[in-house]
Formats: sequence, C-alpha cells, structure tokens
Amino acid sequence: MSATGSSNPEYVNARVSARRATLFDEEDYRKLLRMSPDEISRYMEESTYQGPINRLGSRFSGVDLIEYALNAGLAETFDELLAWANGRLYEQVARYLRKFDAWNVKTAVRGVYAGTDPEAVEDDLIRAGEFDDALLDQLVEAESVDAIVDLLDGTIFGDPLAAAAEEYDESGMLVPLENAIDRAYYENLFEGVTSASGAGPESAYAEYLQAEIDFRNVRNALRLARSGAEVDPAEYFIEGGTLFTPEELSTLSRNRDQLVEHIRESRYGDELAGALDEMAEADSLIGFEHAIDAALVEHARNAGHAHPMSVCPVIAFVLAKEREVDNIRAIARGTQAGLDPEEIRAELVVE
Amino acid sequence: MAKDVKPTRKNLMAIEDRIELSERGHDTLEQKRDGLIMEFMDILDQAQDIRSEVEADYQTAQQKLDMARAMEGDVAVRGAAAALKEHPEITTQSKNIMGVVVPQIEASKVRKPLDERGYGLVGSSARIDETADAYEDLIDSIILAAEVETAMKKMLEEIETTKRRVNALEFKLLPELKQNQEYIEQKLEEQEREEIFRLKKIKAKKEEEEDEEQEIEADEREGATTASPKAD
Repeated sequence: MSATGSSNPEYVNARVSARRATLFDEEDYRKLLRMSPDEISRYMEESTYQGPINRLGSRFSGVDLIEYALNAGLAETFDELLAWANGRLYEQVARYLRKFDAWNVKTAVRGVYAGTDPEAVEDDLIRAGEFDDALLDQLVEAESVDAIVDLLDGTIFGDPLAAAAEEYDESGMLVPLENAIDRAYYENLFEGVTSASGAGPESAYAEYLQAEIDFRNVRNALRLARSGAEVDPAEYFIEGGTLFTPEELSTLSRNRDQLVEHIRESRYGDELAGALDEMAEADSLIGFEHAIDAALVEHARNAGHAHPMSVCPVIAFVLAKEREVDNIRAIARGTQAGLDPEEIRAELVVE
Repeated sequence: MAKDVKPTRKNLMAIEDRIELSERGHDTLEQKRDGLIMEFMDILDQAQDIRSEVEADYQTAQQKLDMARAMEGDVAVRGAAAALKEHPEITTQSKNIMGVVVPQIEASKVRKPLDERGYGLVGSSARIDETADAYEDLIDSIILAAEVETAMKKMLEEIETTKRRVNALEFKLLPELKQNQEYIEQKLEEQEREEIFRLKKIKAKKEEEEDEEQEIEADEREGATTASPKAD
C-alpha cells in the first residue's frame, strides 16, 4: 500500500503468519539434500516458487534457474509485504527492505564498472526494495557512475554516493562507492525509530536494529583485523549500535584478543560465546558469521513473539525468508559442486 | 673417412691437437652435464613440491569458491569479482644456472588488502574474503610453479643438448680422429719402411755396382800381369 494511512500490524502480521507456514521446514531441507538440482527445481515448482520457476524456466536451467527463481520469489514475497503494509509499518518495512535497493545500486555500479551487458545486470537485480521498475531500468541502462549518482538524487543513497564519487574518481576503485551505499542503508535504518530504552514494541525493534548494526561492526572489525589492512576501522564504523564507539573500534581492532574479550563482556557475550570459541580455534570468520546470522534470526524471532503487534514479526519473517532462500541455494549449489550433504547441512540456518 | 685424410705429418699433428682439444671439451661437457643433472634433480624436487602445492591450493580455492557460491549465491560472488578490474602484474627477469638462462618471475599486486579488493567491506562477508585469499595463494603458487617448471624445462633441454654433444664427442668425433691418427701413423710408418727398403735397395745396388767395377778392375789387372812375362 503506502506510507499514508494508519499502521496496520494486525492485518499484516496475520498474513505474515500465514506466509510463515509456507516456508520450507527441516523436513523439506532433508528431502532437498537428497535431490539433484533438477529435482530441487521440480520440488520448488510445487511451492511458493511455482511462478518464478515457470516464468524463468525458458531462460535458465539447473542451479542458475534455482538461484534466479529464489531471488524472484524473494522479491515477490517482499513486494507483497509492502503492498499489505500501511502508514508507519510500511515505512519501517520499506526502510528495512532498502537493503535490496542497496544491492541493486551496487549491482548497477559494478555493471558499469566492469562493462557488463545491461541484460546480465538486469538478471542479477533483486526487485524487492522500494525502487520502482522504471528507476531500476534506468539504473541498468546507465552508462556511467555519474549517471547512476544523478539518478539516485533524492534517495537515501544520493548524497553519500555523490560524496564517494569524488574518491572513486581519484582512486578508480569501487570500494568507496560500495561502502557509501551500505552505510547509507544502515544509517537510515533508525530513522523514525524512537528509542531503544524501555520495553515496548518500538524499543524491541530498536534493540534488534542495534544488534544487527553491532554484529555488522563486529564482523567488519574482525575482518579488518584478520586481513591486516592498514585502514582505520572507524572509517567503516556504522552509527547506531551500542557495542562500540568509533574510537573503541579503532583501538580494539588492533588487538583481536581484546576485541573478542570486549564482545564476550557485552550483552551479546552469551549468544556469541560458542562462535567466538570456534573462531579462536579455526582462525576463520566463516563459522563466526554463520553463528551471527543464526543469532540475528533468533533475536528477531524472539522480538516477534514478544511483540506480535509491531514490525518485529514482519522483520522476523523477512529474515526467515532470506534464510530459506540462502538454504535452498546452498543445497542446490552445494549438491552441484559435489559437497558432502552433511557439510551442506552444517551450513544451513534452520529455525 | 680416414681415406680422405692425407697421411702427412702436418695432418697428424693437427689431428693430435684436435684430439687433445676434443678430450678436454669432452671432460668439460661431461662435468657440465653432471652438474646440470644435479641442479636439475634439485629443481625437480622443488617442482614436485610446488606442483603438489598448486594442486592443494587449487583444491582449497575451488572448495572455498563452491562454498561461497552456495552460501552467498553466484550473483554475489560474481558481483564481488566484477568489482575489481586491476590484474596482478608480472615481470620477468633472467638468471643463469650453469650457463642456462632461466626466467625469474616476479609478481606484484597479487595479494591485496581488504580495502583494495574493489568490493565494499560493509556489504560483503568473510566467506568472500577467504575465497579471495585462497585464490591469491593459488596465483602465487602458479607463478612460482611457472618459474620453476620453465627453469626445469630449459635445464632439461640443456642437459639433452650437452648429452648429445658429449656422445657426439665420445662416440663419433674422438673415434674418427683416433682412426685418422692411426691411419696416418700407419701410413707414415709404411712410408718410412718403404724409404728404408728403398735406401737399402739403392745401397745394395750401389755396392753391387762397386763390386762389379772392382771385379772388372781386378780382371784387367790380372790380364796385364799375365802378358808381361812373355815379353821377358
């Protein structure tokens, strides 16, 4: 619907819980793990992905069909969420789903940078955000980064991209543009969210957003510390979290042990204790990131249960749907690559 | 071959010089061949290690890529890859191993820090970082393997060439030269014998002639002695 009118969480959450029931469960994943990619796409044809599979079946095949159908299915589901929501709820959901706008802007920028065919760029878009088809088509057809920056004028990405474009012109690297897009998304998440203190639905949502930003900051700090890049982690700091100040992040990312200790002592200490132990043993962040993803899903689901008449159940559904897409894709691609089913199963995030 | 050579003392001396030079060359080439083989064996060990390293790195990189494509999606991985246009730079120089010129490959910009990989840090994941790390390791191993395997190939070619030269000297040139030397020596000896025989013949003939002359003189003297008592 639109940002106008009064918020309608009762209606949206009733529809969301009906949709939640159609998500793939553990039994479905067990079946999928025993199937070939073609069997998986046939199985998907009997689910909510029927439309995308039939529509894209003539253009793609095998695992590519599955991946593009999953993205298209994700976009259709999230479009429905926006179509159901009204008023403040619409604003909050739309703001959260701008992550796909960020994805699409990055895809368009990379397409221009690498000289990719516009048709291929269009295939890679996930039309699940707030941008309408006309704007997305213009982004795909844009011939330069400057043209993309002009097209995004007036959106949350406009000003940050214009500022980062100067740095891009100097260095010829996409990093400043990509970081500006992602930061713009995260830093606008809190817009309109009143307070994280208290015990109401609004504060539960604010707490979830803080956790997402905190986890993102932790991931970035650990990745920078691991890579040994000579950059100030504060440059990549996203405002809105409670775990670090930019100064703390700069200091802590120079010493991984101190950083880990800081996380252990924070309110996420218990949630991430296992992941931190695993990271110390394996010297890899993959398991840690996997645990963070699972913790976020859990966090959103708990907030949704605690505040059923808020945006939290919708956000929990968004995350659950994203995990479903990730899980099916992981099974299909993993099976095609000949990975052991147990290895694939270990990577799935199942509620 | 030997019959083409003129059996002269001058030629014999020239052949003896060539034999001496060839034998010296043969020894040197044999030493070079042995040295090259020893160097080759070292490089072979190194190449085998590097080849196993390349295979292991390739397996790791491929496994990481498969996992990244599975967990992040092919679109996300392709997107991250498209965010970087700069390729590693490779410069080649040469070094000399026992006279064999082998390449020395140096690469720069293979390993890139996180902030120079093109894709944004905020919207990507450790899985993509670790895939990129694994491919950087693989490229490093491939470059090293290219250097060592090219050196190995060049040394193998040089060993083959040296071996052919040693064999040519040992089994063709030196035997031919020795055959020629023997032929000339035999011919010269034969000529010497003929000369001695000829001289002996001349001497004998000369002595025979002298004997004949002496006999004639003696006959003449005897004839004169028998005629003089009648006159008395």
